[in-house]
Amino acid sequence: MVQVFSTFEHSANLELAISYLEKNGIHKENIFAIPLTNRKTERRLFDSIHNADGISLISTGTALGTAFSVVGASIGFRLEWGPIYWGLIGTGGGFILGFIIDLYYYKFVKKNQRLRRGKNSEVILIVDCEETQSDMVENILWHHFALGTAKIQYEIQ
Amino acid sequence: MDNYNNTDNKFRRYKAYVSIAGTTQFHLRNPYMIAWWSAAFPGFGHLLLSKYLRGLVLFIWEVVVNYNARINLAMVHSFCGNIELAKESLDTRWMLMYIPVYIFGIWDSYRTCIDMNKVALLAEREDAPFNSFSIGALEINYLDKRKPEMSVLWSLFMPGLGQLHIHRVLSAFFSLIWTIIFLYFSKALIAVQLLFLGNIQQATFVLDKQWLLYMPSMWGFAVYDSYMNTVENNKLYNWEQRAFLIKQFQHPNFSIKKGKVVD
Repeated sequence: MVQVFSTFEHSANLELAISYLEKNGIHKENIFAIPLTNRKTERRLFDSIHNADGISLISTGTALGTAFSVVGASIGFRLEWGPIYWGLIGTGGGFILGFIIDLYYYKFVKKNQRLRRGKNSEVILIVDCEETQSDMVENILWHHFALGTAKIQYEIQ
Repeated sequence: MDNYNNTDNKFRRYKAYVSIAGTTQFHLRNPYMIAWWSAAFPGFGHLLLSKYLRGLVLFIWEVVVNYNARINLAMVHSFCGNIELAKESLDTRWMLMYIPVYIFGIWDSYRTCIDMNKVALLAEREDAPFNSFSIGALEINYLDKRKPEMSVLWSLFMPGLGQLHIHRVLSAFFSLIWTIIFLYFSKALIAVQLLFLGNIQQATFVLDKQWLLYMPSMWGFAVYDSYMNTVENNKLYNWEQRAFLIKQFQHPNFSIKKGKVVD
């Protein structure tokens, strides 16, 4: 017998893979899913860092960009380049300033809480099957964007 | 048709609701950011909280009262240092009514945000089932993962498209319609055309100051709203799938075997 281990991100592909396995004769009881916790989330209610993804780098940027844009567009009526250019310069400048503030905050002030960027393994999927099925199972997992797979061969006692 | 019908209302709080008009959910928000968006444009803070009716009322109130009182125009003159012009442009028949509602918008959205954060934590702990799939004659909506960068990009091209990308139909239509109005009355696109031709002075001259100043907030809000909700919808998707996997694919008879890794 073989157990095929694999890791996935949370996605519709994972459920497609499972339904495809079931269609190909793997019983539901022989599929085991372990959703992982990827990051210890701090839950302090009055904390001001409850931004959308925990490490939002655009919150301060969009806020400052909007503010600077209003001021830039206003003063622009007096300046040579006019309100549209100065409004856009205000937006860009404000956004970059906010972005740098957030970046500094998460890089130096809060560096321990960061989630690793890129693909994270979010679910471990284990499929128990006959040796003859193991290649088919592994193929299905790969086709549905498994991040990694491994086959474990074992003896039935 | 929905995949869950809440017929008996036996739970106290529900974390999310997927409907034809969009995905609505409780999640933790930063109250200072909500207050800021209400300050940038009354109503935006409430729209970010998915409180559409009062958000829209406050938004329309802002456009009407600001326009008649000429607040934006006075702002332009003030920033340019023309204090006398600023004083002249304000219409005192309208001006004073601007203040209390403006402050209320900021205060109320800040307060509501803190309250809703508490509800968000309680709802998440209670973990009540909720509808996550909806199909009907007019629309289809379901939990899904989307790319936040694409929401930002489309919102930059045209406020409303980012929200359309993540099926936030109400704020999408709202943003699209008001952007058309602002673009038309500010004559911003005429100015852009003149800028492409290198005629900066003419471009400045043609702009309507009062209407132009509504626009930066519109763009900023569209970017922030669509980005934040894309990220939160993705998180809701993960959360829901996690619960589904634990419920369906952890059979008690399954045992993990010791063996050898083979190719």
